[in-house]
Amino acid sequence: MKIEETAQALSEIERNSLIALRDGRLKNAGQIANSAGMNIDSARRAIMWLKEKALVDLIESAKMHISLTTSGKEALQKGLPEKRAIEAIHKAGGKERLIEIQKNANLGKESDFVLGIAKRNAWVSLHKEGNELVLELTGLEKDLLQGKYASEIALGKIGENEKLSEAENEGLNELIRRGFVERKQIIERSARINELGLEALAFAEKFTERKYVVDAGVPEILLGKKQPYVQFLGNIRNKLVALGFKEMPAPLITQEFYNFDALFQPQGHPARSWSDTYQLKQPKFGKLPDARIVSGVKAAHENGGNTGSSGWQYKWNEEIAKRLMPSAHGTAHSARQLVKGIEIPGKYFAIARCYRPDVVDATHLIEFNQLEGFVVDKSFNFRHLLGMLKQFAVEIAGAEEVKFLPDYYPFTEPSVQLSAKHPELGWIEFAGAGIFRPEMMLPLGIKEPALAWGIGIDRLAMFKLNIKDVRYLFSDDLGWLRKCAVVQ
Amino acid sequence: MPNVEINLNDLGALVGKKLSLERVREALLFVKGEIDSVDGNEIVVDVKETNRPDLLSAEGIARELKGHLGKEKGLAKYDVKSSGVKVIADASVSAVRPCIAAAIARNVKVDGNFIKQMVQLQEKVCLTFGRKRKEAAIGLYDFDAMKAPIHYKAFAPHELKFVPLEYRVEMDLDEILKEHPKGKEYAHLLQGCKKYPILIDSADVVASMPPIINSQATGKVTEKTRNLFVEVTGMRQETVNTALNVIASALAERNAKIESVQIVYPKSRITTPDFTPGKISVDVSDVQKISGLELGAADIVKLLRNAHYDAAAKGKKIIAEYPAYRQDILHPIDVIEDIIIAYGYEKIAPAEVKIATIGNELQNNRIENACREVCVGLGLQEVLTFTLTSKEKQQRMMELPEQQFVEIANPVSTNWSVLRRSVVPELLEFLSKNKNCPYPQKIFEIGRTLALDASAETGVKERTQVCIAISHKNANFTEIKSHLNALLQNLGIKYETRAMKHPSFAEGRAAEIVALGKCGILGEVGEKVLKNFLIDAPVAVLEFEI
Repeated sequence: MKIEETAQALSEIERNSLIALRDGRLKNAGQIANSAGMNIDSARRAIMWLKEKALVDLIESAKMHISLTTSGKEALQKGLPEKRAIEAIHKAGGKERLIEIQKNANLGKESDFVLGIAKRNAWVSLHKEGNELVLELTGLEKDLLQGKYASEIALGKIGENEKLSEAENEGLNELIRRGFVERKQIIERSARINELGLEALAFAEKFTERKYVVDAGVPEILLGKKQPYVQFLGNIRNKLVALGFKEMPAPLITQEFYNFDALFQPQGHPARSWSDTYQLKQPKFGKLPDARIVSGVKAAHENGGNTGSSGWQYKWNEEIAKRLMPSAHGTAHSARQLVKGIEIPGKYFAIARCYRPDVVDATHLIEFNQLEGFVVDKSFNFRHLLGMLKQFAVEIAGAEEVKFLPDYYPFTEPSVQLSAKHPELGWIEFAGAGIFRPEMMLPLGIKEPALAWGIGIDRLAMFKLNIKDVRYLFSDDLGWLRKCAVVQ
Repeated sequence: MPNVEINLNDLGALVGKKLSLERVREALLFVKGEIDSVDGNEIVVDVKETNRPDLLSAEGIARELKGHLGKEKGLAKYDVKSSGVKVIADASVSAVRPCIAAAIARNVKVDGNFIKQMVQLQEKVCLTFGRKRKEAAIGLYDFDAMKAPIHYKAFAPHELKFVPLEYRVEMDLDEILKEHPKGKEYAHLLQGCKKYPILIDSADVVASMPPIINSQATGKVTEKTRNLFVEVTGMRQETVNTALNVIASALAERNAKIESVQIVYPKSRITTPDFTPGKISVDVSDVQKISGLELGAADIVKLLRNAHYDAAAKGKKIIAEYPAYRQDILHPIDVIEDIIIAYGYEKIAPAEVKIATIGNELQNNRIENACREVCVGLGLQEVLTFTLTSKEKQQRMMELPEQQFVEIANPVSTNWSVLRRSVVPELLEFLSKNKNCPYPQKIFEIGRTLALDASAETGVKERTQVCIAISHKNANFTEIKSHLNALLQNLGIKYETRAMKHPSFAEGRAAEIVALGKCGILGEVGEKVLKNFLIDAPVAVLEFEI
């Protein structure tokens, strides 16, 4: 770099330090800080940077430096243990049992040491009363109590960085041994401006604006951010609202009635077994909706009722339908909404937290999200179902091509699976869908066809967030969350 | 969704045509099947339809493929001759396991594939369609070792002894339920019964103890077996008939000659298997309305015949006859789906959904978003934790007294056995996992918490809470209260804080937040709690219902 550019790129503190050094004298960081009106740390940093740019010469000298340790600082504040001990005796009227002194002056492991000093200085006399050692003041302790104790004065001076007298210096080693003071070798650096420095300074004073080294690194900033998966789900929600969908409530706990019975899933069905869904130990039972709806569902299960179906031909049990469970699939929320009432024509969706007993690993979660919903209108048929799925695949997954395959769901007939060709993932199972069965809809009093759908959004989320391990959707890695780019 | 293991050569032999893997893959779509894995000639097919027990073996899948590959149309016809054999059902079984159906299959050629498929079919039908043997349990026997007529009769627990399959010692019925692995597994099906059902021949040789186990004497099928006796027991005649039809028609696909058996109940007699097809009427207009396809009656009849139905047009209706092994046809809609599948999903042009509706998110979500925005503005990193957790973390590690939780009855692990009452412990655990990450750490979560509430429709009150945790060497009450203040001020919520004692927080550094209808807590997390979570840096938290 040319000297002009170097000069132009000088920081504020480098520039001020050079000005302070202009007289060509050797100065240490303290002196530079003083004359430049900056703090000593800035001055230290500045001369190191100036040295790197070869604008100053540095002279280093080793010096012993004494300073207070943490317990030294504490002793300075609360008094040295020996002073606290004498004060405690004084307070007790000039005579006190050792055991009390230890307690009141909080001597701890300094106790023996304090006893030694007190005897050496003849502040106290010792005698025994019964089994107990008693200390009595002699009158020689006055200087100590009036603040004329050399060790204490030394401690104060060290704290203030002042020079010690010869007498005070004598006690220094003891203070170091007792851990109140530490002695460290420090390197003091002094700087002197050189010719190049003078030249740079001359240039620098011509420029009023600093020139930045634009490719240099900068300090990191920790910013507040949304969780990436939450953000992804939020984007999906916005998309569906834009497509005219209303969001349905998605409680975490549901009655089996909504999770299974209203969906025409027979009570003995293996999919309702413990190995496939969670059940609650407490609370155990919830409430069922309107009796008319319950009896309609019962009839549909038992013999089809008025739905034109033969039903499942078994005795439907209301108590089983009342049982509570964490929602196993989002369709439970569609069932709840259908029971509550819907607008026709209508479009509904839910982002549902669902639960499934499993072992958590890179491909399985026991708690995950499903995107579910339905659209309903008297004009709808199977071709509309395919049309809707295709729209989802294009709008949500950015699919280029789609394929429809026969599929099975207990509550839809006909049923279909949509595979979508994702530009990067290739063919993926994107959605499952179908027309809600008459045995499900008629007991709820709905005659219009409802096209139901569910989309596997976790797979898409993993792609969006560029993760291979599904557990990262609920990441407990703060470093990763901080680094993860905002989802667009 | 049951998985069915199939050998490709075996499947080809059953269909009568050598099939490539790709061809099988395409053809399986017609039966809602997908190839799950391939190992040489052995494939595993995921059969998605859970109400088609007939598709749970190579024979059934082969039969369907024959239809769609054009090798066989209409109902599969099996000749059934009468065997003259009787099964005499005693009145004593009526209180225990009242129904039975049986058949005889002659000239079976038992080989590896045969045994594999029969065992698989038997197991899977019992598991799914048979509701884990409760509604249907199936037994296959070497008929040549049996003496007709066969008796189906209940015996007292110590009245009878026999050697269970693959065992060497005789056990009485009670011993089998208590000691035999299958006995223990299925004993609950006979719980409370004074007598247990037994199938026993006229030479007093026990064939089996349904629905538990066959006998070693006759209930073992080997490559030497030529003639089979098949029976299904259960609670409803229709169910056992369907299960028998599934097994018998699968055996017929392997060229066995099926013979019927007469079941003699105390007051009635029936003959099984009964291959009389089911009948259902479907309106042509319904097919058109639901499929959106312009199909005439003749088109529909043709499509149904490809799907193994017999069908005839009668005015504006189609009378469809479906095979006796199918029990999934409850409603004309089920037939309509088969018509659309036979037509081919890939040939159907999607139609655009054109209804005008106004979209809307939940009100609660808008509040969450406002809260999230303020938290992000405060420089906090959002995190997401699970609602399933443990009492250990939620209660003991928080130094809290005994509390009631929404609790899982069948947890996979105690780590995931209750639903959380508070988000705070989850954020503390998060912090404890990130001690190596640069401080200050400032995080928040907006999530659901659950508490018991008898007045709620589900017995559970679900709340949405915002929880903030701040951790660094100087984190303290003032800092977290500043966050609370900023948060609630910007959400337009007036609040008060009141000093409180709380076992999770440091003495004198905890307060409850009181606002209109909502509440929360804030404070410095106590030393004991930090130690429980192995956290070194001070942590200040707040949790508030939004």
